[in-house]
Parts: sequence; C-alpha cells; structure tokens
Amino acid sequence: MGEPRTKVTFGEFWRSVRHRKKRYTHVASAIIESEVFRLPALTTVERIALYLHFPFCVERCRYCSFVSHEGREKDIPAYINTIKRELAERAHGQRVSSIYFGGGTPSLLPAGHLADILSTIRSCFTMDESAEVTIEANPGTFDGEYLKAIRALGINRLSIGVQSLDDGVLSLLGRIHNAAQAKESVPIARKAGFSNLNLDLIYGIPRQSIAVWRETLHDTIELGPDHISLYSLTLESDVPMHRMIARGDVAAPDSDLAADQYELAENLLPTHGYRHYEISNWAREGVESRHNLAYWQTEPYLGIGAAAHSFIDGRRMANTANLDEYLNACLQDIPLPPAFDEIIDPETALSEAIIMGLRLCKGIDPSEIRDRFGIDLAERYGGEIRELVDLGLIEREDHILRLTRRGRLLGNEVFWRFLPHDHELAGALHASPVPLESPSYPPFSKGDWE
Amino acid sequence: MEQSLIRNFCIIAHIDHGKSTLADRLIELTGALRPDEMREQVLDSMDLERERGITIKAKAMRLGYTSRDGKAYRLNLIDTPGHVDFSYEVSRTIAACEGAILVIDATQGIQAQTLANIYAAMEHNLEIIPALNKIDLQSAEPERVLEEIESVLGYEREKVLQISAKTGQGVPDLIEAIVHRIPPPTGDPSSPLRSLIFDSHYDPYKGVIAYVRVRDGKLARGDRLRLMGQGTQMEVLELGCFVPDPQPVETMAAGDVGYIATGLKSVGECHVGDTITSVTNGATEPLIGYRPPKPMVFAGIYPTEPGDYNELHEAIDKLKLNDASLSFELETSPLLGYGFRCGFLGLLHLDIVRERLEREFGLALVITAPGVSYVVTRTDGKKIEVVNPTDLPSPTYITTIEEPWVNISVITPSKFIGTLMELITDLGGIQKNMEYLGHKPLGDLGLRVQLKYEMPLREMLTTFYDQIKSRTQGYASLDYEFLGYRESKLVKLDVLVNEVLVDAFSRIVPPEKAHDVGKSMVNKLKEVIPRQLFNVPLQAAIGGKIVARADIPAKRKDVLAKCYGGDITRKRKLLEKQKEGKKRMKQIGSVEVPKEAFTEVVKLA
Repeated sequence: MGEPRTKVTFGEFWRSVRHRKKRYTHVASAIIESEVFRLPALTTVERIALYLHFPFCVERCRYCSFVSHEGREKDIPAYINTIKRELAERAHGQRVSSIYFGGGTPSLLPAGHLADILSTIRSCFTMDESAEVTIEANPGTFDGEYLKAIRALGINRLSIGVQSLDDGVLSLLGRIHNAAQAKESVPIARKAGFSNLNLDLIYGIPRQSIAVWRETLHDTIELGPDHISLYSLTLESDVPMHRMIARGDVAAPDSDLAADQYELAENLLPTHGYRHYEISNWAREGVESRHNLAYWQTEPYLGIGAAAHSFIDGRRMANTANLDEYLNACLQDIPLPPAFDEIIDPETALSEAIIMGLRLCKGIDPSEIRDRFGIDLAERYGGEIRELVDLGLIEREDHILRLTRRGRLLGNEVFWRFLPHDHELAGALHASPVPLESPSYPPFSKGDWE
Repeated sequence: MEQSLIRNFCIIAHIDHGKSTLADRLIELTGALRPDEMREQVLDSMDLERERGITIKAKAMRLGYTSRDGKAYRLNLIDTPGHVDFSYEVSRTIAACEGAILVIDATQGIQAQTLANIYAAMEHNLEIIPALNKIDLQSAEPERVLEEIESVLGYEREKVLQISAKTGQGVPDLIEAIVHRIPPPTGDPSSPLRSLIFDSHYDPYKGVIAYVRVRDGKLARGDRLRLMGQGTQMEVLELGCFVPDPQPVETMAAGDVGYIATGLKSVGECHVGDTITSVTNGATEPLIGYRPPKPMVFAGIYPTEPGDYNELHEAIDKLKLNDASLSFELETSPLLGYGFRCGFLGLLHLDIVRERLEREFGLALVITAPGVSYVVTRTDGKKIEVVNPTDLPSPTYITTIEEPWVNISVITPSKFIGTLMELITDLGGIQKNMEYLGHKPLGDLGLRVQLKYEMPLREMLTTFYDQIKSRTQGYASLDYEFLGYRESKLVKLDVLVNEVLVDAFSRIVPPEKAHDVGKSMVNKLKEVIPRQLFNVPLQAAIGGKIVARADIPAKRKDVLAKCYGGDITRKRKLLEKQKEGKKRMKQIGSVEVPKEAFTEVVKLA
C-alpha cells in the first residue's frame, strides 16, 4: 500500500486528475481519487476488493465443502434483497477495485438480479472504472444470451468451473455437465464478448491417471483461456466422496500421483504462454486475477452474503453460514449475526502477510515487509529462513524470498514455520461471543486428503 | 468373646464366580449393614477395583451372628484377591483362616483359578465348604457342575450347598454351615504373642494399617511390638476390627482377626507374611516363613513429556506406599530420557499400576514392551540379571541365557483343544498333562479338559491371554505359576529408524522368530510414522545383521491448494495445529515420531 503521502507537486496532481477523465464537483473528491495522495487509511476512502456469495446450486458435487444449498432457488429473490441491505449497511463510499460473484453457482442468478446488485454497488461504493468484475459459472447453467446480458452489465471476467474434460472423472465428481458442454462453453463466452476467461480444473482425483490429466491439460490449452486455475482434490470428512473412499468403493487419492500431475502442469503450461504466478494459478501476462491478488497481498476485502468473509481494518470476520439466519436478519430488521470476528494482532498480521505472500511465485520482498510492519524479516525469522533454504524449500535471490518448485508442493512445511513465535500465539484471538466452531468452518478432521 | 465361638474364614473362587457378591450378602444377612446402608461390593474400597469388578486389597470384616442353636458367634470374613498375579497375597490370607467357602459358578463350573485356590487352601489344611452359586440363573447347570465337583474335587453332592449370592437363596444355610463345619481357632492366649500379618495398607492419617490374625497371646492398645522377620519395631496406636467401618477395641486375643494402626511410613516396612510379637517376652518361632514377592514382569515407564519426570517419580513413590510388590529402579534411555524400570507380579499388576498412574495422577506415559528377567552367565563366569534388553551383553561375552518358565493350566471345552495346543506349542510350550473334568459334555462344546503345559513366561506377555479367550470364544480359563529358570537360545533384536538405534524398541527373542518379529515391527512403524521431508529406512537387526527392512518414502506434497478470502483464517488454524502436532512429537534423530507410534509398536507380539 505504501507510505502515506500528503505532499505532492501540483503537476503530479493535475496529471493524475486528467488521467481519470472525470468531472469533479468538489476538489476534495478529486484529491482523494487522484491516487497520488496516499492518505492514511481512513475507513471512508480505503480501497477494497468486494466479494459476494451466492450459496445456490442445482446439485451438490460429491467433493464440495463450500457453503451452498440445493433446491432453494425460490429463496433467491429474498436473498438478493438481503444482499442489497447488507451492501447499503456496510458501504461508506469505499473504493472498489474488484468485484467477485462467487458461490455455489452464481450463474443461476438471472441477469436482472445481477443488474440490481451491480446498481446497488455503484450507488453505495465508488467503483474503479477499470475494476475487474468476475462471475463464476458452471457449464450447463448458461447460454450465449445470458452471457451477453451479463457482459453488458459490466461483468468483464468469467470463471468457468470445468473441473475436468474427462467424462468418467466428471461423473465421479458428481458434476452436472459433460466434457463436451464444458468445451462448448468457451467459444460461447468469447462470442459474448468475454476477453478475460478463466478455467478451473481439479487433479489428484481417484481414477484420474497421469495420462488422463495430460490430455485434459492439452485440451484446456487448446481452448485458449486467458487464465487457468488448477486445484488438488481436497476432501473434508463430511462430503460424500470421503465416505465412498472410507467404504472402499473408491480408491483413496494418491498424493504422489497428485504431485506428479502438478509437476506436469508446471512443465507444460509455461511453454504455452501461461505464467505461473501463484501456487494454483497460471495466467497470460497481465491477466492475473486482480481480485485474488488482494487476498494474497493481504489487502482489505469485504464479503457480502451468507458465509462471506471480510478483512477490514485489521479485523477478520464472517457472516453466518446459515441461509435462514442470514435471510431472517433482513426480514426481522436485526443486525446480521457474525460467525466470528477476530482482531488480527500485529504478529499474526505479519505471519499472514508472509504466508500469503509466499504463495505468489514472485515471493516476498523483505523491504516491503519492513515498510509495512517495521520488522526486519531476517532478524525475526532468520533461523526459519536458513532452515528452509537448507531444506531446499525456499530460495533467496537479491533478498527476495520465494518458494522453490519443491517448496510449492510442500508449502505447508514452509508456512507453519512463519506462524507467530509461541508466546504470541495465545494473544492472537479475541474472545468473541460466538464460538468459532460454526458452520462456516468445516470441522477439522484427520480425513483431509490433500 | 470366647475363642470357641470365633470362626475365621475366607471366600475363594475363580474371577466373577460371585465372591464379592456373596461377601455382600453375608454382610447384609448378619446385620452388619442395614439394607439401606448396603452398597454394592462393600469390601472393595478403591474406585478402580469397583469398576473392574476385581479386588486387590484384602480386608477383614467382623460379622456377628446368632445361630439357630441360640449361641452368638463371631464370624471373621477375610476377603482375598482372586487373580493369579496376586497369588502370594491369597496364600497369606488363607494362612490366617481355618476355613474357606469355595464358590463355583453354576453356569461355568470349575475354572483354572478354582483349582489353584483349592490347592492353596488344602496346603494350609483349611476346612472347605463347597458352594454352587448363581443357581438363580436360567443358564445354570447344577447337575453337570455337581457331577464335576464330585469327580474332580471329590466332594459328595450332599456336602455342596446350592446358593444364589445375588438373591440370597441358600445363604442362611451357608452361614449355619460356617458355624458348624469350620472349626474354631486353636491357639493359646497365655502364650507369647504371635500374630500373622496377612495384609497391609497405607493410610495417610494413621500410617500403615496391618491386618493381623492373632494366633497366640493377647494384643492391647499401646503395646510395643516387633516384626520377627524384618525387625521393624512399632507401637499399637490403634487396635480394631471392621464392622465394616473401622471400630477401635482395647484388646484382642488368640483366634481373633483385626487391624493395627502402626504409625509406620510405608508398607515396605511391614511385610505381609511376617509374624508380629511383643518386644518384651516375645515369641521365639515365627508362624510361617516370609517370602518377598518376586516381580515377574518388567517394563520401562517414561513420562511422555520429559518435564513430568518428577511428577512420575512422586506418583510411583505414592503407589509404592501401598504396594509392597511394586519394584522400581531409575533408568535412562537416549530416546525417552529419564524414567523407571518397574517390576510387577504379572500383566494385570502392570495394567493396574499403569491405569492408576494415568488416571489418578493424570500422567501421560510411554511404556516399553513388557519383558521378563533373564539370568545371563557371562564368559567370565559371572551371573547377572537382565531386565532391560539394552543391558544384554554382546553375544561374544555370553555363555548362557536363562529365562523364567511357568506351569500353565488351561481349562477349556474339548472343542477348542486343537487350536489351543497349536497356540501353545507355537509359543514353545511343552505339554505335561491333559485331563478330562467331569463326564457331562457342554452341548457341542464337548467335555471340559484341563491342559497342563510348561512354557516360557516371555511368550505369555503380549497377546497370549487374549488369544486364549478369542480362540475359545471366551470359554477357556488360565492359571500359571512360576516354575524355574531354564536355558534358552535368545538374541537381542534391535530396531533402527533412519539408522538410529531406538533402544526402547529392543527385544529379546528366539533367533528363529527374529525375522517375523522384526518385519512386523518395521511394518508397523511404517504405518505410524508420518512421511518426512527425506527417505527414512526402517531396519530390524541382530547385532550388525539386518533381518527385516521397510522404507518410508519422503513426502512430496503438503500444501493447501485453495487459499482465498474465506480460507485464510481456517488455513492459519490448520497450520497452527500442524505446528502444535510437531511439538508433541518425539525426535528419533531428525525423524518426527508421534507418541502413538511407541504404544503401537510395543503392543506387537
């Protein structure tokens, strides 16, 4: 974010204002929006990434742990109203640099509802003109008309949940579409005017051989997306696929095979112009996900909707994951019940910045850490850094610290070492009136396969 | 109370045949406790015992009874431990009595400890009243068991009382039989004092309480006494009996049973089996020889957290106050740190001590595989006792190794003879005898059979008892006694993790079993040790020779794929959990091993 600057030359100011090509009725807003003045974080002018959650699905996939509901489409209108209310309540003119419609299946929302929400956002917040606006969509839930309609609303990035291009695997996952539908959705999106397209894929799935994965990768490259996200299958103990494996109906995922599949992608994608920029994300140059970068760079974000998480003013909190509770708040005009609310103390904030920052392939810059936190990384975590370099999990180049290839696969071994040193751990959480074991968190269990 | 009106008796039985329930019934019917005061199994005072339904500490109760002949008798009931581990305590108790009620379960018949207890009672010339119990149950087979008692034990069925300790049926007749069939105590109240200590118990307020049977002479409060074997001197701070609560009395004379509060600091100062006499005008001959209890089973006990060592030491000291047969010595292990090598009377004793340490004292423990003590004759002629496998000298310095053997007696329905014989001979057992009990078969299970074998105690220490039970659907019963030391061919099997020898896993085994035991240990380790950041070889070796091997490949993947806004807090917590987990690991060199790994590996046969 940088140091606050309150002194600028007139020239800098004028150029920045002209660049914005906007008419200002008040010099104060011109100053604020000029961006050359970096004013100390006032809640009225902070810049945020805005996330909206839509927990509605046609059918739950067998591996999914996200908060979402089947068969509650009739609640969508009420949900939209509640969202609008929450937006109005939590807005105070913040600047929005990215918007993300996530879920569930946001593409189940009729374009009209999306229009409604976007117009509420525009009136409550100050949207950057070049803001990135993403919506997640599942093949089989949209057609060309729909995409054109939402493109026209200003949604300029589409993230399609392909997951696999092998029908056998898709069926095992419990997806509602087949490979052909997934493939077709790409040209439809292009025709509708989406020049910023992401495809999501999963590897490390039982019965998904390295050959099948290789073919999926090649097929994906051929479809020519701008951005690719690859995720290793992760199963919580309460999902159907976990039970299938526990019963022996399906073989357990093989983590060594998953490692091979990841390495295959790492080798293959750059040769086709996709740059690896985060552990699970590749993109053509300049088309990295601006919204997700806010997470990895520990910038503030506001989460709207049931189960949505926020990080504002050094506090992390989340809305209730219970759809009825969320809807009820609006109906009864009572405050939204939080699932948790945690003040992030400086030690924890530092750890989060390091851990999230290391997920990015560009790594972390100790001088930025020093600017932001006033801490010398080599002093605070010197021992850990040396150990990790020795283990071959981190490399240091011109002081920049980044994960090695092996370090990306074994990220957790790097991350836990950057947690706050012990005596500080106890102070990291403030007692909140609501217990932390609430529905928005899947229970921790030994059954997590990664 | 006239000596001729006293009856001293105990109840002997196999486990669960109803000893404690019968004691409850006797207490109730003689009015020692009113029905509303009755609690189950009154004589068991420790919670642990109550839960496990077994008695460890013997207690004595004075019951008053007016017989049908009009006279008022004093019945001293002495409660005995039923388990083979505590056979020494049983025999001391029997020595304090003139009679015994032999309780046999009418649904099960004669079991291994029925026989063991009867032999002990006969050795002391006790008058035995056989009683067939649980006749109220549907599954009772009085005919069959009576026939068994007649043919195996020689008691005519008319002499056997049929009772139900639970309902009380037949118990009034039993009490009459106690009065009329058990002889009164002999002994001269005017001779010098001789009292047998048949048990002792440490009380934090009164010091050691000695349970005594006065054979000759008289005891009074304030008397100065000494132990004839041990030499300890003491004063009678308090003298009394249990009714069931302690009731002080002023004097006690020959033939009677009660307790003495000695003021001594630990039961180790007041040996069970020793004879008490007066300091002045004392007796010259003790009643019976005192034999210190011999520990048979040894294990290393270590605190999981090295910082808890002092707590563990204090806890074991406290336990020892009340358990003269628990022995321990300081021990150190490169892996586990400071701990103790403890000696127990048997596996049950070990189990009880372990559970008390964990439960009453709240300690987290690592316990090494239980083993026996070996007598090693070195090449220089010296004989040493080895209880920790790591102390076994190198083979080049060993002439012979001897290990303890036991006589075991297994009673089983004949259907399971084959599988039991297979089990025992596999473990090196040598058959001595096989005898059929009774003539009536148990349905398709066949006649009941007593198998007698000699086998090395070492082979009994892990799953033997469980195997006996599981191969016979629970019908078999087991008893054993120490036989003596015999020479065996044995070697030390070591386990190396990442080429580091883990002393806690070392075992002494016969060479022909080394490969199999080694293989199962390295395979188990592979299961319980998580993958590290490097390859970990696991080896079992005898000296320098590897006999089994397994490898744990390095882990390649351990990362959270998705980390977006809603994941950050949860991810941080998972990492915190991962970090916590590492702190609870034990390090073997650079390998992180969870504590459970030890428990799992030492459990292996």
